Amino acid sequence: MHLAHLRLRDFRNYARLDADFSPGFHLLLGDNAQGKTNILEAIYLIATLRSFRGVGGAQMIRRGQSAYFVGGVVVGRGEHEVKLYWSARERKLSLDGRPVRKLTDYLGVARAVVFCTEDLQLVKGPARSRRRFLDLLLSQTVPAYLALRQRYALALRSRNSLLKQPAPDAVALDGFSRELVSAGESLIRLRAELVRKFSPLATLACQRISNQDEELRLEYRPSVREDFGVELAQSRAQERLYRTTVVGPHRDELQLLLNDCPAAQFGSEGQKRTVAIGLKLGQAEYLTGFHGAPPVLLIDDIMGELDAKRRAGFLPLLELARQSRGQVFMTATEENWPRELGGNLQRWGVREGTLQSQA
Amino acid sequence: MASLPDSITALIGSLGKLPGIGPRSAERIALYLAQAETGAVKQLAQGILDARDRVRLCEICGALTEASPCALCSDPRRDAGQVCVVERPVDVLSIEKPGTFIGRYHVLGGKLSPLNAIEPGDLRIAELEQRLQREPILELVLALGADVEGDATSFYLAKRLSRPGLKITRIAHGLPAGSGLEFADELTLSRALEGRREFL
Ligand SMILES: Nc1ncnc2c1ncn2[C@@H]1O[C@H](COP(=O)(O)OP(=O)(O)OP(=O)(O)O)[C@@H](O)[C@H]1O
Ligand SMILES: [Mg+2]
Ligand SMILES: [Zn+2]
Repeated sequence: MHLAHLRLRDFRNYARLDADFSPGFHLLLGDNAQGKTNILEAIYLIATLRSFRGVGGAQMIRRGQSAYFVGGVVVGRGEHEVKLYWSARERKLSLDGRPVRKLTDYLGVARAVVFCTEDLQLVKGPARSRRRFLDLLLSQTVPAYLALRQRYALALRSRNSLLKQPAPDAVALDGFSRELVSAGESLIRLRAELVRKFSPLATLACQRISNQDEELRLEYRPSVREDFGVELAQSRAQERLYRTTVVGPHRDELQLLLNDCPAAQFGSEGQKRTVAIGLKLGQAEYLTGFHGAPPVLLIDDIMGELDAKRRAGFLPLLELARQSRGQVFMTATEENWPRELGGNLQRWGVREGTLQSQA
Repeated sequence: MASLPDSITALIGSLGKLPGIGPRSAERIALYLAQAETGAVKQLAQGILDARDRVRLCEICGALTEASPCALCSDPRRDAGQVCVVERPVDVLSIEKPGTFIGRYHVLGGKLSPLNAIEPGDLRIAELEQRLQREPILELVLALGADVEGDATSFYLAKRLSRPGLKITRIAHGLPAGSGLEFADELTLSRALEGRREFL
């Protein structure tokens, strides 16, 4: 899978950009604050409809303008044209010239995995960041997952809204509890299954890039121990106190254990970074295995900051991308790009919101 | 910068509040109307007023009608023992289309939605309870949407309306999940009606 064309209008610091990209390796070089990461952000947006910087649409509109446009041509199984328009008043998403009605019809057209400094949040951040990681990986591999996740979210919000009332209608509450439990049980089952399959990949990736003999192990710790319905009913007293739903997949944790100790508490800074990169490498490999083709890899800065051993850990994945005509975008400043990656790459110069091929 | 006359701006504002009409369509329609032939515009305005004047909810089932009770409620050939419960008046049309349902209707006027502050008291549930006392109803067929709120509402109705001698069924799933009846085609709907099951 690769992005053959990218078109930006009033996106971040790009007033206009039209660029063609071949499969293979693209190195985006430029000084700080020139717009390298913004390109990766746009590509990731095409794949996931989100910013990996965790911001909303408004922040991505070029300052002083009122809307942004991001378009692309994605070549995978077939060729697809994607157009995304965002303004405070109107959002439009079209695929091959037709408006997209259901997100499930869209996701899957492009897949991307990003490696960036924010990844450290996977280890250091709250459980929410790890649930989001699982959810993204599931929505990239199980077509029905997103709809299920939305169903759960709506049942949860409805239920919480009932719990805020002074005297919630008991039967109505039961009605929404049933919905919560039925969607929630499927979420739990899918998450557990994913972690079982994904964990060994993350363990191996971590071994490849770590300096010591560290073993990463992933443990899914669902908030529900055995029976969601029963435990939800048992939590009524607590719910009355907190006026919110206290048990369910929205409270799940994905424990990251390094030699059997929680990485967030016991890992060194370097180890935490190793774990974060290991998770992302695992994600890319899992997607590659699942779909038979690698996702577009977006690697922001981090190469320059890694030592030789960790850089080397990336090479198998990059080699795989090369062999299967995948695509890699990597940003770096002129001084710190990983020269061992050699000559087989396309260099681009990024300056003040413009992109220039440096053939 | 030149701006539009106030009356057109006001019209754009009103049109923009209509369902399915975005800001751009509102502007296009307003500009069109402001320049169209007077007779045609008067006819449109009169048509809107007439419809608003004449159309009301049927006092029995809650469907849209000009004469209350509506044609369906007063048709003696319809089976008074079966009542199909739907969310909105247009859903009656969807169920009528395949022509397989021979009973009567009850329109709730919405579904439970805590996020929009829609509670049981906002729906025509008390009216349905009265009908259960008055009419010889043997079966309630719940035909609400298969989304979270529709399903929770079905459960609520089944619990609250359950009484001896009354069968409460629900149309089979296979309806597009998370959407209303209007997206289901006739075949899907008639299958869903045939395949209805007893609730709970
Ligand atoms: N909404 C926006 N409108 C206009 N310019 C923006 C907007 N958001 C960010 N920028 C500008 O984009 C530039 C940053 O771009 P980007 O983050 O891609 O830099 P970079 O090349 O990756 O730099 P570094 O090497 O420091 O990571 C800054 O000059 C910033 O002011
Ligand atoms: Mg950057
Ligand atoms: Zn009627």
